[in-house]
Amino acid sequence: MLSKQEAKNLADKVIGYSKLPGCQVDVYSSEAVFIRFANNGITTSGYSLDHSVSISSTTEDKRHGNANVSELTDAALRAGVEQAEAMARISHPNPEDMPALGPQQYPEIENFDTFTGNSRGDALIGHVKGIIDAAQAKKLTAAGFVQRYATCSAVANKAGLFGYHQNTSADLSNTMRNADGSSSGWATQTSTTVRDLNGMDAGRIAADKCANGVGKKRLEPGKYTVILEPAAVSDLIGTLGYSMWARSAEQGQSFLSKKGDKPGQTLLGEKLFADCITLRSDPFNPKLPASPWGPSLLPNEKIAWIEKGVVKNLVYDRFWAEKAGKKPTPYPSNLVLEGQNHTLADLIQSADRAVLVTRFWYIRMLQPQTLQATGLTRDGVFLVENGKVTSPVMNFRWNESPVRVLQNTKMLAQPVATQGAEAGSSFAPALLATDFNFASISDAV
Amino acid sequence: MTQRPFTRRAFLAGSACTAASLRFAEKLFGAPDATAAKPNPALEKLAAVALHEAQKQGATYCDIRINRYRDQYCGYRLSPPRGGSGTDEVPFAGDSQSFGFGVRVIAKGQWGFAASPEVNEGEIARITREAVTVAKANSVLQAQPVLLAPTGQYIDRWVSPSEKDPFVVPMDEKLELIHGAALTVKKNPKVFSSYGSLFFHAEDKYFASSEGSSIQQYIVQVYPGLGGTAVDSQKNISRDRSYQVPPLSRGWEYVAMVNLGENASRIADELVEHLAAPPVKAGKKDLVLMPSHMCLTIHESIGHSTELDRALGYEANYAGTSFLTTDKMGKFRVGSDLMNIFGDRTSEYALSTVKYDDDGVKTTRFPIIEKGIFKHYQTIRDQAHLIGENESRGCCYADSWSSVPFQRMPNVSLAPAETSVTLDELIAGVEDGVLIEGTGSYSIDQQRYNFQFGGDAFWEIKGGKKRGMIAQVAYQAKTPDFWQACDGIGGRSLWQQYGFPNDGKGEPMQTNAMSHGCAPARFRQINVIQTD
Repeated sequence: MLSKQEAKNLADKVIGYSKLPGCQVDVYSSEAVFIRFANNGITTSGYSLDHSVSISSTTEDKRHGNANVSELTDAALRAGVEQAEAMARISHPNPEDMPALGPQQYPEIENFDTFTGNSRGDALIGHVKGIIDAAQAKKLTAAGFVQRYATCSAVANKAGLFGYHQNTSADLSNTMRNADGSSSGWATQTSTTVRDLNGMDAGRIAADKCANGVGKKRLEPGKYTVILEPAAVSDLIGTLGYSMWARSAEQGQSFLSKKGDKPGQTLLGEKLFADCITLRSDPFNPKLPASPWGPSLLPNEKIAWIEKGVVKNLVYDRFWAEKAGKKPTPYPSNLVLEGQNHTLADLIQSADRAVLVTRFWYIRMLQPQTLQATGLTRDGVFLVENGKVTSPVMNFRWNESPVRVLQNTKMLAQPVATQGAEAGSSFAPALLATDFNFASISDAV
Repeated sequence: MTQRPFTRRAFLAGSACTAASLRFAEKLFGAPDATAAKPNPALEKLAAVALHEAQKQGATYCDIRINRYRDQYCGYRLSPPRGGSGTDEVPFAGDSQSFGFGVRVIAKGQWGFAASPEVNEGEIARITREAVTVAKANSVLQAQPVLLAPTGQYIDRWVSPSEKDPFVVPMDEKLELIHGAALTVKKNPKVFSSYGSLFFHAEDKYFASSEGSSIQQYIVQVYPGLGGTAVDSQKNISRDRSYQVPPLSRGWEYVAMVNLGENASRIADELVEHLAAPPVKAGKKDLVLMPSHMCLTIHESIGHSTELDRALGYEANYAGTSFLTTDKMGKFRVGSDLMNIFGDRTSEYALSTVKYDDDGVKTTRFPIIEKGIFKHYQTIRDQAHLIGENESRGCCYADSWSSVPFQRMPNVSLAPAETSVTLDELIAGVEDGVLIEGTGSYSIDQQRYNFQFGGDAFWEIKGGKKRGMIAQVAYQAKTPDFWQACDGIGGRSLWQQYGFPNDGKGEPMQTNAMSHGCAPARFRQINVIQTD
C-alpha cells in the first residue's frame, strides 16, 4: 500500500516525463486477504498484492491516448508515458474532451480502518469456524467466502490536481445446504471494517433459512405481494440507481426518457414514486466504500436521485452538463435507499399473503425504457399468510422492473449495509411491494 | 482525415520498440517464438527461488506462475450531439499491461496462495513463505487433505497460432479501419448511434512446479466489435443490432478476414428493420438457433452444469451448484440422441485453447455428453479422485498472476450432424417459429435448470420460410426439456466457434474466455415470451 507521499512522488514522476499538454495519472494499489470454504472446510485462501499506474495523455487539439502499467521502475513508467503520448498523437480529436480540472478540494471520507488494513488470515478464520460450527450443529454443509480488502488510490494531473484516498472493506457470505439438496439458506455481511463481521450470526441465519426451507410448496407463477429482504432490494436499486444518466434519458434510451413528440424531454422533476421512496448516494456513509472523487474528478458529494418520490437529479457528466447548461453531478458513489421506522418482522406481520424473498440471482436487463429485467430468487423463499411465515416455496424466475417495484412499494424497514449478487454493496431496507411478476417456477435449490 | 503531426513510423519508434527495451517483462518473456522448444532460462531461474523456498518451509507441493497480460483496445463511438442531428465522433485508444507472479503451495495437506507484482528473487522468496504460512494456518479447518492426480513432467514452449501479432500493428491503421466501419453503420439516417471496436488480449505465461515442469506459453486473442442503436422516441423504444463476429485466438490477419466494412451497411439495414419490427406473439414455437446465439445457450446450460466444482459444492455460495449431480454421471439423459457435446482445449483458434493448463496438465479433447447422455465432468488435478478418476481433464485456469487457479470452463462445443444438413433444411421443417442470431439478455438459475434467453436479432419463420424481423423475443425452458426437444443440427460446413472473454465465477470473482463451437440447431415447441 502506497502512502500519500509515495503516491504523490510516483504521480509527479510520471507527469515529469510527459511532453504533451495534458497528462492525468491514476495510481492504484491494493492488498487482499481472503478465505474460501466449501463442504465445511477451507478450500482456497490467499494473500495478494497489486498495483498499477494509469496514464492518460492529451494533445493540444484534444487527442487522447491511454496506457496502464504495473511495473513501477523509472524506465517502465517513462515507457508508459511515451506509449500513451504516441497513441494520443495518432488518434483523432475527441469532441467530448473537457479541459483538465485544476486543484480540487476533495472531502475527507473516513472509510479506512487500520485494524482491517493490518488484518491477516487469523482475523478471518474465526468467522469461518463460526459458520462451519453452525452448519455442523444442524447437519448442514456450508460454503462461503470472507475477505478483507485495503486499497489506496491517487489521482493527479498536469493542471495541479491531486487527490489521495485509502479505504478498507470487509465482506462475508455463506450458503448452507442440506444433505439431500432440497434446501439452502444464505446470509451476508458487508462493512468497511472486519470488526463488523460476525461469522456465528451469519452462519445461524443461513442455517435457519436452510432448515426452515425443507418441504417447499409449489406456488403458481403470477403477480404476488413480495417482501424483499435487503440483499434483494440492493440489487434492484443498483439496476435503477446506476442507470440515471441524463444523456440516455434525453436521447430516448432510458426509463427516464419522456415518451412523445418532443425528443430530449426527460422525467426529471416528476413524481414517479410514493413519498416513502428516497434514493441517495452518500460517500460519507462510514459503512460503505466510496471515493472522494468520481470519474469526472469532481468532488463526490451526498446527492438525492429520488426524493420523496420525485426524480430529483440525473447524472450529468462535465461534457453533457456544459451542453445542457447544468451543473455537473457526480456518478453515484454508492446507493442508499431510505427506509421507514419498521422492522422486517413488521413487514411480515402486515401482510395477508406475500412471498418473502432472501435474495436474487442472475439479473439481466430486458428493456432500458422500462428497466424491465429478468432474474431469479435464491436461497430462501417463503410464503407469508396472515402475518406469519407459513411455509417454504420453490424458487421463481421473475420479469419485473425496479421502477414498478418502487412504485408499488407500500412499506419499508430501516436500511442496513448489504449486498446482493449483482450490484455491489449498498444501504438498503427490506420492503413490501405489491404486484411483483413471477414468470415461472425454477426447480433449482 | 484530419492532419496528424506524427506518422506511423513515429508511433513504432516512440512506443513499441522503446517499451520493449525498457520493460522487464518484455525482456523476461521475449518475443513470441513458435520455433523455441524451451522456456527462457531467466524465467526458470526466478521460479527456482519459489520451488526451493517452498521445500525449505515444509511444503509438499509448489507451483509458480509468472505472467504478463497485455490488453489493447481502440475504437469509435459515433452519436449525435445534444439536441442536434450531426455526428460526434469519439475515438478511444489504450494499452494496458499487468505483470506479476503467484505462488501456490500445499502444506499440511492444505492449499496456500500468495501473489505480488514485484518480480524479483527476494520478493518471490518472501511471497512463497507467505503462501506456506497461509496453508499451514488454514489446515486447522480442512475438510480433507488435497490430493493431486498425477501429471507428466513437461519442459516446453508453445505459441497460439497467428500470422501477425496484432500488438505490432500501428494504432492508426486499427483506428482507420474501425472508424470506416462505424461510419458506414452511422451513415444510415435512421441509425441513432454506432460503435466499432478492436480489442486484443495477450497472455505471456510461465509455469513451473515442484514436480519438474517448466512451461512457457503465449496466447493472443482478437475481439472485433461493430454495431449500432436506433431510437423511436415517439414510441419510447430503442433497438440494437451488432455484427456477430466470433472472437478467436488468432492474429491480426483475422481482422481482415471478418470484413467489418463490408458487413456494416447490412447491420445498419437490419438495425432499422429491428426498430420497426412487430413484437413476437407469445406461445410455444419452434426455434432455429444460429451459432452466434447457440454459443451462449451451450455455455449457460451445459458448459456450467458439467463443471465438477459446481457439482461438488465448491461454488455453492456464488455461481451455484448443478442439476447434474455426480450420481447422474454416465446415465442421465440431458438431450436427444443428436446431442454430442465435448470439452476441447486443443481446438484450433478457440479462446480457451492452450497446450498446458494452469495445473501444468497437457490439454485434451474429451466427451461431456454422448448421444444425449451425460458422460464426463470438466476437472482439474485436485478434483479427479473425488469422482474416482485418475487424471485431470486439463481445465485449470487463473485469470491473473494474482488469482488462485481453479476449475474453469474449457471450449465446450456441440458436434455437427454427421450428414450435410443445411440451414434451409432446418428452417423448412418449421411451421411457426423464430430464427435467432446473436446474444441478448441471458439469465439462468444457480443449478442451471431454468433459463430465459434473448438474442440480438429475430426473424419469424412461417410455413418453412424465413420471413421478416420480429422483436421483444425471449424463450424460457428447463435445460433437459430444451435439449431433448432438439431434432435438427446443421452439418460440419456450418460449424463455427463463437465465444466470450468474460465468464465470471469464483470468489474473488475471476473471468475466463472460451469458445463454443456449433452449427445451427432446431428445437421444437419451446415457450416463447414477449418482453417489454
